[in-house]
Amino acid sequence: MSLAEPAALPVAASVAPRLHVLKRFSSRFKASLPAYLLLLPSLIFLALFTYGAMGRVFIDALYQRATPKAPVRFVGLDNVNAVLADPAFAGAVINNLLYAVGTAIPSIALALLFALALARTHAVNSALRAALFLPVLIPMVAASALFLFIFLPNVGLLDHYIGRLLPVLPNWLGDPDIALYAIMVITIWKNAGYYMLFFLAGLQAVPEDVMEAAHLDGAGPYQRFRHIILPELKPTFLFVIVIATLNAVTQVDHVFVMTKGGPSNATNLVLFYIYQQAVEHYDIGKASAATLLTLAALMGLTALSFRTMANREGGP
Amino acid sequence: MLFTRRLMLGLAMAGSIVSALAVPAMAEGPTEIDLFFPVPVDGKLARDMGTLIKEFNDTHPAIKATAVYTGSYDDTLIKTRASIKAGKPPAAVIMSANFLLDMQIENELTNLDPLIAADGTTKEQFLGQFFPALQGNAVINRSVYGVPFHNSTPLLYINADKAKEAGLDPSKPPQTWAELTDWAKKLTKREGDKVTQWGIAIPCAYDYCGWMMETLTMTNGGRYYNEEFGGEVYYDTPSMLGALTWWNDLVYKHKVHAPGATPGPAVSTSFISGNAAMMMLSTGSLTYVRDNAKFNYKVAFIPRNVRNAVPIGGASLIVPAGVEADKQKAAWTLIKWMTSPEKSAWWSRATGYFAPNMAAYKTPDMVDFLGKNPDAKTAVEQLDVAKPWFATYKTVPVRKNLEDEVMLVLNGKKQPKEALVAAQKAADETLKPYNAETSLKLP
Repeated sequence: MSLAEPAALPVAASVAPRLHVLKRFSSRFKASLPAYLLLLPSLIFLALFTYGAMGRVFIDALYQRATPKAPVRFVGLDNVNAVLADPAFAGAVINNLLYAVGTAIPSIALALLFALALARTHAVNSALRAALFLPVLIPMVAASALFLFIFLPNVGLLDHYIGRLLPVLPNWLGDPDIALYAIMVITIWKNAGYYMLFFLAGLQAVPEDVMEAAHLDGAGPYQRFRHIILPELKPTFLFVIVIATLNAVTQVDHVFVMTKGGPSNATNLVLFYIYQQAVEHYDIGKASAATLLTLAALMGLTALSFRTMANREGGP
Repeated sequence: MLFTRRLMLGLAMAGSIVSALAVPAMAEGPTEIDLFFPVPVDGKLARDMGTLIKEFNDTHPAIKATAVYTGSYDDTLIKTRASIKAGKPPAAVIMSANFLLDMQIENELTNLDPLIAADGTTKEQFLGQFFPALQGNAVINRSVYGVPFHNSTPLLYINADKAKEAGLDPSKPPQTWAELTDWAKKLTKREGDKVTQWGIAIPCAYDYCGWMMETLTMTNGGRYYNEEFGGEVYYDTPSMLGALTWWNDLVYKHKVHAPGATPGPAVSTSFISGNAAMMMLSTGSLTYVRDNAKFNYKVAFIPRNVRNAVPIGGASLIVPAGVEADKQKAAWTLIKWMTSPEKSAWWSRATGYFAPNMAAYKTPDMVDFLGKNPDAKTAVEQLDVAKPWFATYKTVPVRKNLEDEVMLVLNGKKQPKEALVAAQKAADETLKPYNAETSLKLP
């Protein structure tokens, strides 16, 4: 995305409009050459590690071999079709949708609640904010290892406390009906504090005079929240929703550490499915095809939400 | 002027990047080789490996070996495959023993026969050093592709104090499924409907679950897969049906085993905390139990229904395909040194795995160690009835085909028979491409 910026540099505006198109282009290029040069180092790395890899995935997705010893040959969209026809992929997509909705809504609601409660800055609130932000600082892998102990059946921390109240102790990560929700709890615990930061920033931007005016007009706390704060927070909401959805697809470290997609595929998410295809099945073609599908869905989603955001912000 | 300054800045930055990327010239000297090694159990192994490699380098000035930690067994496979694709494979890798067949099918292994022949020994002499049970996972199509490095078998662990409490004699551990069921019933404690102490725990998570199914099937007289050919598994068979039905009965009929799928670490924690009175777990956990159990414990053979038999687990040393001749030779020197009786014995004592080299158990240090730790001896004795670890074309997905269904059974969502029929169907589908070019490729 940083590619788009040099072309938009205002330098080009000084060039006379009647010049030949090619000439105009070349002079425009000359003018922005320093910008390109400055971008060069990051461009090199992006090309090497991002765009290069993406190109490779795109090519790999088009090739497949029929049997283990057969040579790899061009198969067009066969890999994509195979992925779409795979019930395990469909299962992973459904799990991922459940997981996205089940983590985004609670963590955003909690984040907003925290932000509203801790909006005023003083010593106690700062300490509380820090406490709520703490899970963000713990790497996901470490957090997963921690929760492995909390979720241990019969002897874990959770069963130690809750176990006295329940007639039968649940096997939190070993029961396909519960495992996905257990995984969701970790994500909510980990991300709510992070999203709180965005809402705190958003709340600072709510105009003080409007709030005062509403206060003078006799608007109650709910009315102020409903008619002033929420509309003002709309861009923040959109942004956080995008981030939360992206996280639901890309942050699956805890699935790797805790369940490996099990039991019986109950916690299999799309990214883990791709890992399984690439590593366990050693099927690079199918893994690449699944990656492309995921990438396309994510880019579509991001483009859509950023467009809506731009529209809203650009409005009167 | 502004532009030139920007230009200079840009050039300077680009220049510094290029110089940072420049590769330093190769130095002449000893043959440098890399050894990829996983740490499947705990972090302590990494330090032990460092000690081992340092000693090798000190005693072999012509070779400079570097041990590269590569994560879990699965991660090690990924990294090895990636480095083979990149054209820079490590000279040797400690690879999970049941990945060898799949790698051989993919042409990713160096045949070790020429290296053995160059030493002036025969394959039989070379393999003769190792326990016979370990040879099945090292030899493919009568060629040697791996050298056993550290190995394990499943064991029955018993909390001896709790057994005594329940009026059982821990010096006569259960030998049959019937006796084990009886013990488990006596060792389960209930408060109303609630179980406060489970009779037995058997792990079931991806990887462990398949191994335990192989264990139970083998003690029920059966086989998990075709040891001679990588395109067949025997999931929908009476022996496996009996095994899974018994496991299911322990959970839902006798109610002496916690429902659901429980991973290995949860099982060992449960045993250590006294929540489970018995468990089936790898010999690889023996050191952990020895260090952490605050009660008397006892280890025994896995009880039988039809016969005594267990699969092996663990890892072998391999040389990936595409390693240059001089590095192959250096790697071979390292492999032979690491699997020699003394080093094998040392590694066994450090890690808890058993030493694959039979002569290791005749070294004075090891005789001394076994005298002090008779439980380690039980693990070695069980090797007499051990057989290879399942390895097929696409071992992991084929295993997962079974594990997903077993997990459903343990969660009360499927009956054993329908689960095994579904597992067989899924596995046959996974194995199809391999059969298409082997057993079903007809003239």
